[in-house]
Amino acid sequence: MSAPDDLIIHTKGLTKSYGPHVALDNLNLSVPRGATGLLGQNGAGKSTFLKTILGLIAATSGEGSVLGYDIQTQGPAIRQRIGYMPEYDALNPSMDAIHQVRYSGELLGMNPKVALNRAHEALQFVGMGEQRYREISSFSTGMKQATKLACAIIHDPDLIIADEPSNGLDMKTRDFMISTLNTMVHDGQRSVLMASHLMDDVERVCDNIVLLHKGKLAAQGRIEDLKAIDREIEIHVWGGASPLEATLKDRGFRVRREGRVMRIAHTEEDTTSHILQAASEVGAQVRKMHEYEASLEDLFLAIMDNLGYAVKSSDDLLNNPVEARQVDAPRTMGGAGS
Amino acid sequence: MSQNERSNPEAPVQGQARMDVAWGANDGDETEASAQTAQAAASGEIFEQHYTPWNGTLNPRWMRNWAILRHHVLGVFSKGHRPWSMPTRIFILITFLAAMGDAALTLVSSLFGESELHTIFGVSRDNLYGHVLGFFPRNTLYYPLIAALLVGGVISEDRQHGTSALYFSRPVSRFDYVGMKFLAVALIQAIVVLLTYCLYFLTEILAFGRGWAWMVDVFPMFVAGLLAGVLLIFTYTSIGLSLSSVSRGRFFPGIGLLAILFGTKTMASIVKNLFEREVLYLFSPYDCLAHVGQTIMGTQPTYTQYPWTYSLVALIAMNATALYVLATRVASMEVTRE
Repeated sequence: MSAPDDLIIHTKGLTKSYGPHVALDNLNLSVPRGATGLLGQNGAGKSTFLKTILGLIAATSGEGSVLGYDIQTQGPAIRQRIGYMPEYDALNPSMDAIHQVRYSGELLGMNPKVALNRAHEALQFVGMGEQRYREISSFSTGMKQATKLACAIIHDPDLIIADEPSNGLDMKTRDFMISTLNTMVHDGQRSVLMASHLMDDVERVCDNIVLLHKGKLAAQGRIEDLKAIDREIEIHVWGGASPLEATLKDRGFRVRREGRVMRIAHTEEDTTSHILQAASEVGAQVRKMHEYEASLEDLFLAIMDNLGYAVKSSDDLLNNPVEARQVDAPRTMGGAGS
Repeated sequence: MSQNERSNPEAPVQGQARMDVAWGANDGDETEASAQTAQAAASGEIFEQHYTPWNGTLNPRWMRNWAILRHHVLGVFSKGHRPWSMPTRIFILITFLAAMGDAALTLVSSLFGESELHTIFGVSRDNLYGHVLGFFPRNTLYYPLIAALLVGGVISEDRQHGTSALYFSRPVSRFDYVGMKFLAVALIQAIVVLLTYCLYFLTEILAFGRGWAWMVDVFPMFVAGLLAGVLLIFTYTSIGLSLSSVSRGRFFPGIGLLAILFGTKTMASIVKNLFEREVLYLFSPYDCLAHVGQTIMGTQPTYTQYPWTYSLVALIAMNATALYVLATRVASMEVTRE
C-alpha cells in the first residue's frame, strides 16, 4: 500500500479481531509527519494499534503502511526504522545504562563499536551523560524513562513511538522529557507518535491527535483545527447574568453558564458586539471578555461526549461546521448529540 | 584571592567559591568544553541539548542474532554484556575445573607412569561415557546445576523486567530470539561439558604420545561421546528454557529443572528397587539420555527391561513437549505490556 510522502502512518479499513472481540474497527488513519498524540481511554485499542503498525500482529482485514512500508508484510523493515519507547520498564536493572543502550543498538543491527559511540551520544542527548555508567537498578523513574528514550533513538529513527513517556515523572523531569521530545521534532526533524493520558503533555508536544474509542477512530486532525470547532467567548458578568443569558439564548446563541461566568459560542464575526449590546440592554456589567481557548482536555471530553456518532475529521467539521456541530455536539452544548 | 585563601573555612563565601563547589576546581578548566559549561551554567542550564543525526548502516539479520548470542555468552566472562549472577559465574568456573579432573589425573598418571591410575582415569570407552553421562558426580553435582543456573532467568527475566519489548520492538523475530538464547545457554554448557571432554581426549594424546592408529581407533567412540554430550545439553536446555518461559523469576525454572531431573530419577529408582520394574525410567530425562548414550557409545547397558529405542522415543517426546511449551510461551510474550 502506498501512502503520500507527507504521511508517516496510513491505514485503510484496518480491523483487528480476537474472536468476537473487535479490538480495532475499520480504522482509516492518516498521520502526517511531525508530532501526533495517540489518545484514548484504557481498552480503546491503542496497544493493539501500536502492535499492528509495528507489524507484530497481523490485521484481520484492511491495510496500512508506516513510513511507506506495508504493515502486513514488512514488519521487520518498519521496526528497523522506528524507535519504540515502551510505557513499562524495559531495561535490565543489573546493566549499566551505556551497555543497555548499546545493546539496544546492536539488536537493530548496529556494529558494536558504532553502537557504543552512538549510545554515548544518545545518553548525552537525553541528559544522562553523567549517569551512563551507573547501574539501572539505582535509577529514578525519570532516569529510566530517559534511558528508554535513548534506547529508542540510538539509530536516529524517522519515527519515535513513545508510549506514555511522561508517566510517573515529577514536574521537572516531565518538563525535560517534553522538551526533549520537542527538540527531536523541531531540531531533529523527526516524527513522534506519542500515546499518553496526560493531555497537557500531548498538547505541548503534538500538533495532531488521533483519538481512539472502543477500537474506533473518534477523531483525528490538527489540534488547533479541532479546537476551533468549539470556539467560545468567555465573559464575567456582574449583575443581570440571568437576563443576559436569556437574552442571548433568545437571539440564537449557545450559552453555557457557571455562576457569573458565561461561555458563548463564537459562531459569527460580530458575536462580541451582540454580547455587549445584549448586556447594555439588560443592564449587566461585562467585567471581562476574552476568547476562551479550549484545552485538549476540553476537546477530548467534548469528543468523548459525542461518541457513537460517525467519525469526523477536522476537515469534515471545518468544511461544514454548522451541520457537523448539530450532529456531533451533545445536547448540553446545544447540539443534537447524546 | 588564592586557592588556599578561598579554601580557608573562615574565608567569606563568594561567587567564585560557589562556582568551584558547583563545577569543580577551576584548575585545568580552561578548555573550550569547560567554557561552554560555564556559559550554560550562567543561564541556569546544565547542558545544551543538541540532537545529533546518524546516517550509518544497519546490518542484516545475522548481525542482530550474533549480538544476542554474544551478549549472553560474553556475559559469563566480562562486564557490559548480560549480567549473569556472580554465583553462576563462580559455579561455572568451579565446574569447569572439576570437569577437568579426569584430564588432570590422566596427566598425573602419565607423569608417574602409574598404569592403574591410567586404567581408572585414562581415556576408555567407559571413561568417555562417564565424562559426559556419568551420574555421579557429573550429572548430580555439575551439569544439571549449571543448566539450572543458566536457564533460571534467561527468558523469565525478560518477562519480569519487560526487556522482551527491547527485542520485539526491533526487527528480531521470536524464532531468532529464542533460538539465540537456546544456543547461548547450550554453548556455555558446552564449554563445561564438551570442551573439557575434548581437552580430556587431547591430554591423553599429548601425555601418552598416542599415534594416528590409536586416534583412528578411538575416534568413533570420541564422536559418539560428543553426540551424547550434544543430546544431554540439548535436553537440559530445552526443558530448562521451557520452564523459564512459563515463569517470571529465576528461582522457579532452576528448581523446576532440578526437580524434574532428580525427581523422576529418584521415583524410578524407588519403583525399580521395590518392584523390579524399570519402566518408570522412561519418564526420567537423565535415564533416557544415559540409555541412548550407552547404546551409541557401546558401553554395557544398565537398562535391560526395554530396548533403547523406547528411551530415544521418550527423549524425543520430552524435547518436543518442552520446545512446544517454549514456542507457545515465547509467542505470547508482549511488546507493549506484559
